[in-house]
Amino acid sequence: MSSLMNQDDFRTALESAIQGKSATRSPFSIAWASGTLTRAHLARWAENHYHYVGPFADYLAYIYARTPDHMTDAKDFLLANMYEEEIGGDRHTDLLIRFAEACGTTRERVIDPDNMSPTTRGLQSWCYTVAMREDPVIAVAGLVVGLESQVPSIYRKQTPTLRDKYKFTDEEVEFFDLHIVSDEIHGERGYQIVLEHANTPELQQKCLKICEIGAQMRLLYTTALYHDYVEQDLPLQRIEAVAA
Amino acid sequence: MPKVVFHKLGQTYEGEVKDNTNLVVRAGIRQYPYPHLRYGCGMGKCSKCACEVIAGGEHLPEPNWKEKKLLRDNLDRGYRLVCQLWISHDIELRQDSDEVWAATIRPADAIQATGVNSAPTGPLKAAP
Repeated sequence: MSSLMNQDDFRTALESAIQGKSATRSPFSIAWASGTLTRAHLARWAENHYHYVGPFADYLAYIYARTPDHMTDAKDFLLANMYEEEIGGDRHTDLLIRFAEACGTTRERVIDPDNMSPTTRGLQSWCYTVAMREDPVIAVAGLVVGLESQVPSIYRKQTPTLRDKYKFTDEEVEFFDLHIVSDEIHGERGYQIVLEHANTPELQQKCLKICEIGAQMRLLYTTALYHDYVEQDLPLQRIEAVAA
Repeated sequence: MPKVVFHKLGQTYEGEVKDNTNLVVRAGIRQYPYPHLRYGCGMGKCSKCACEVIAGGEHLPEPNWKEKKLLRDNLDRGYRLVCQLWISHDIELRQDSDEVWAATIRPADAIQATGVNSAPTGPLKAAP
């Protein structure tokens, strides 16, 4: 039986659970970082990514509605995340579509759900399931801490590559730029909610488990992107050789 | 740990932050310099977080494309967008009142962000 961790130890355990299956280890991410993807590959990524991150405010809205009224601070944080995701500044998905268009695809193709892979549909469905069915604190751990908080570190590595190796302009890659700041806020709010409200050993263990599953889901998603769109052009051995 | 001195409306606030800290991220989770720091979009598009750097500016990186686009000649007056800065050294900042910001910093084509700690905005001129 696990004992209740203090907040510092619990945060370290959460970070470790996420890192165990980090999506940065997928062949797609390695190929991205090494500059070997084509704009067509990146267009397919954008067409899929839209359907994963596009409904993020919807996921949060389900959690918000099921969060007890007495958890006012947690509800306010979730509401702020939803607001900022959609109307606090430029709509995040509009910036994703701008990047997609720079890769050669169209807004129509990006928003068309028929263009996502079955695995992306699975990731989106898992996000909805967690938001609708899990204890709200566990759902925040899975979606905000496990998934969203990973984004700044991933994009921080990818943004210079997009400029330097893929030769995108600053405005074309603004989607990645903004996430360095705003998702950092959102991820930190998620940590605050989970650290404060996962106040039993059982809840803490369930939060750790769902972070692990969330990281696995993201790794599954990016790995499938490689197999569905990239493998035929870039065999694994070539990616490993470039990355070595 | 970097020490942050923050001046606003004639008051001075002080606090320490962890290395490599973004002050808008801190304010977003209601930690110092919350509730004093005004910010909006958190994405370098509204300029609400603009502050004059009084001391410590030599440790900051060169302004990025968003700061150049939004701050223009205010960069020469020592202003930076705090949402675009990660603090690793002591710094002293001053933020204008909402009225002064609207009259002197806010570009006509800035987005009207109304974030959780943002200033009220009046109508903006249409972008050219």
